[in-house]
Amino acid sequence: MEWVDFFLQQLITGLSNGMIIALIAIGYTMVYGIIELINFAHGDLFMLGAFLALTVVGLLGLGDWSGASAWAAVVIMLIASAGFCGVLNWGVDRLAYKPLRNASKLSLLVSAIGASFILVNLGLFWGGLPMDVFAGGVAAAAPKDFPALVPNTNLLGEESLVQFTPKDVLVWAVTVPLMVGLTWIVTRTRLGKAMRATAQNPVAARLMGIDTDRVIGATFLIGGALGGFASVIYSLYNNTISFQMGYRAGMDAFTAAVLGGIGSMPGAVTGALVIGLVRSMSDAYLETRWTNTIVFGILVLILIFRPSGLLGSRAKEKV
Amino acid sequence: MRRLPMPILAYFAVMSALPLFMGTTGLFYDAFQAIFVFSLVGLGLNVVTGFTGLLNLGMAAFMAIGAYTFAILTSDIYPFQIGFWWGILATVAIGAVAGFLLGAPTLGLSGDYLAIVTMGFGEITLDVLKNLDAVTKGTQGINPLPRPTFGPWTLELQQERGWYWLLLGFVLLAVLAVRRLERSRSGRAWLSIREDALASQCMGIPPKRTKMIAFATGSALAALGGALFAALLSSTGEPASYDFQVSILALCIVIVGGMGSVAGTLVGAVVMVGMNSLVLVKLADWAGAAGVGNASNVLASPNNWKYLIFGLALILVVRLKPDGLLPPRLEGGSS
Amino acid sequence: MSLLEVRGITMRFGGLTAVDDVSFNVDQGQIFAVIGPNGAGKTTLFNAITGVYEPTEGSVRFKGSPVRLEPDARLAWRAAVVAILAGLSAFLAINVQELWTVGIAANYVLNQPFPWGKAAGDALAAARAVPFAWGVLPAILGAGVGAGTVVALWQRSRRTPDLIARAGLARTFQNIRLFTDLSLVENVLVGMDSRMHSGFWTNLFRLPAFSRERAWTEREALDLLAFVGLSERAHEAAGSLPYGHRRRLEIARALASRPAVLLLDEPAAGMNPSEVVELMDLIRRVRDRGVTVILIEHHMKLVMGISDRIVVLQYGKLIGQGTPAEIRADRRCIEAYLGTEGEG
Repeated sequence: MEWVDFFLQQLITGLSNGMIIALIAIGYTMVYGIIELINFAHGDLFMLGAFLALTVVGLLGLGDWSGASAWAAVVIMLIASAGFCGVLNWGVDRLAYKPLRNASKLSLLVSAIGASFILVNLGLFWGGLPMDVFAGGVAAAAPKDFPALVPNTNLLGEESLVQFTPKDVLVWAVTVPLMVGLTWIVTRTRLGKAMRATAQNPVAARLMGIDTDRVIGATFLIGGALGGFASVIYSLYNNTISFQMGYRAGMDAFTAAVLGGIGSMPGAVTGALVIGLVRSMSDAYLETRWTNTIVFGILVLILIFRPSGLLGSRAKEKV
Repeated sequence: MRRLPMPILAYFAVMSALPLFMGTTGLFYDAFQAIFVFSLVGLGLNVVTGFTGLLNLGMAAFMAIGAYTFAILTSDIYPFQIGFWWGILATVAIGAVAGFLLGAPTLGLSGDYLAIVTMGFGEITLDVLKNLDAVTKGTQGINPLPRPTFGPWTLELQQERGWYWLLLGFVLLAVLAVRRLERSRSGRAWLSIREDALASQCMGIPPKRTKMIAFATGSALAALGGALFAALLSSTGEPASYDFQVSILALCIVIVGGMGSVAGTLVGAVVMVGMNSLVLVKLADWAGAAGVGNASNVLASPNNWKYLIFGLALILVVRLKPDGLLPPRLEGGSS
Repeated sequence: MSLLEVRGITMRFGGLTAVDDVSFNVDQGQIFAVIGPNGAGKTTLFNAITGVYEPTEGSVRFKGSPVRLEPDARLAWRAAVVAILAGLSAFLAINVQELWTVGIAANYVLNQPFPWGKAAGDALAAARAVPFAWGVLPAILGAGVGAGTVVALWQRSRRTPDLIARAGLARTFQNIRLFTDLSLVENVLVGMDSRMHSGFWTNLFRLPAFSRERAWTEREALDLLAFVGLSERAHEAAGSLPYGHRRRLEIARALASRPAVLLLDEPAAGMNPSEVVELMDLIRRVRDRGVTVILIEHHMKLVMGISDRIVVLQYGKLIGQGTPAEIRADRRCIEAYLGTEGEG
């Protein structure tokens, strides 16, 4: 039953990629939910997270760690990138978005585009660091190799035609607990309640004594941290990073968020899994070069028949 | 009560006289040809985003459609060869149809959903152009393209001043068209949707039809810009010349210039495109002459600072001039 | 036959029933008031009538028939045409490379006359040779999606506010919704849109019809502004108007479509006593133009002073209706509403 194996393989690849996209998509959807901004800089933030992880690898010599200590190295990278991206996202909000809270949505969007450009440029500079992990920084713009800390061995045995590797385990082991934790934060904690209140009606939330600026800051922090986690598992999964990868990743993730219904976290995850699956299936059964077309074609079709995304609910406008 | 649009008149006066002081060739012409092309695209986007309030992140796709339509219909590598002027007319029509086809099923979507659809359309268009290489010649692009003729006289590629005025003429036509529409029933309907979509609908304005006309108008102008861009280079260039960055550039022109302001769009194009193709190029020249440009150090090449400068400029403009450099001004109004 | 018949309207949002089986008739030429405590569902009722919401149950009949698009031959035609075009496009999208190569590239030689007939023949032969899975199948799928899209979009546009406005029901909003960046005249002109005929090309090329229409519409818009007492600020931005004037501009804008019915949602909110008196006069003058007025209002003096007929809502249910005198005498209505009235 070769075709079953083949299909299962695409399923695994698609779902793993989908989960990575989902982490980024949640960052989009959280920010959108709270200040209605398509945070264009988010994909590039993700890219910088990967660069930070690679820098950490270079500084600590993590590339040589193997076996159990390789997993320790992964944890170090995850913490470093998540912290970095969280703080960076918070800083971007402070500098580029916060002064525009009362401005038009489009001004905010342009500011986000500006922030995105700046982050891309920083990524380019970063690639020029004279470190071994950046190939001496001679060709700053070139893609960088990311060490294969997580091995590519098949957990289902060498003779199995379906590849299920520690990389896939890593993806699920990181993403699932994060999503569970996030759901807990949003539904159970004071901060989560404040977030939902601010998302629903910022003015009313402020009148009720919620420090909306802090809540928005926390949202950026959390969303950024998720992007940081995503950047590390993405890098370990694909073993190559580039300063331009934020655009593709951001586009996939934002499409996922919209597909699922923007503002909805389960929607973002659903959308991301759909996109991951469509991508892997299209790569395998059709042609890779048409994959983008198929992803966006499906997006348009779904939106025609469900204008608020898969899990989104159309908010009734107060008249 | 109907005052003359002074900023627009001033713009055209200055622009048409400028080449007289700039010699007949050089960087100035490269920059301003790009500025005029993007003025057309910006005017189109101003109709869609500035007037009607629909966020369109796929203007580059309509430019590409324009460029390739023009190229396929006029290049001598294909049998159609309908000539420059018919090519331009056909391009504008096809651009409008393309806008219509994208808009018809999607314009019922609310703001950001529409934005992502237009962005996706941009991606699809790029892929299609890249992949249908039997028709579009893939990354090579279609060339050569014909030059415009005026009776017995042909405008050659190296006659940069001529191209400058030709493009300026197209911008003038586009400005006339957009302003006429703005000050008519069509334009009022667009503005009312931007101001308050629900109230507008409750006043009997059919939202979908109105948005579709705006979309088609904007796409037609972008397609015109694309066709002229291709004609200027005598080649469509590779599909990647119409990528997302180009759509974003168009959006920045409109917002930096002042949403819904025709004069603002013209100024926005000068500022944004001018920075891209004049200031940064000059900087690179200067650095090269001073011997700073050093391939081994990424920081040394001014070209590597391009996005940083661009990004900072965007953030500063929306911070300091949130309504744009030249916001629309109401006749006799207080705003 | 009444001008407007509301029959068993129910609006549910999730578990909340905002309007519960409300029915009433409004006759031509009346001033008709809907009163009730806050949260009684009055505005929701207005939204259901004007098409902002689709009622969960019930219907609204205007001049004897419901305002909504019914399936007709045009829909079938549109679906058929789109289906054929979409099917063709799907087929072409997949096979265009092949057809182009065989039909055009293979037949074209630079500077030679192009054999159009042969090219078409070759392309057609190539099209016939396309295997089922890459030819007929995508065409059928494309046609299905095309027709489905047409039907889905039509379904969503069956009963929209613009259709209802064009049928002759105009409204104002509780939280005033003007086009603030447009001038007063332009606001009124937007309201007049449904009576205008100039199309895109007329406007683009400034054909004679454009100037004719501009002349009469602007004159009429200024007349309407004079009618509500705002003519001296006609060319200022609506956003610069003080609050009381905004209400009157909204009324002028709504009247611009020459509606048969005008729905006013709390027109007196935030007005001082002298402004309320002016408003009462304005509403009467609107009625005298032949426009039937339906209003939601808390201001009892206004309601009792000008209404011909009143309905009382409480918790989404209709608990009484009648003339002002009857309502004043109705115990249930007094308890529900008038009894708690006191803040004026």
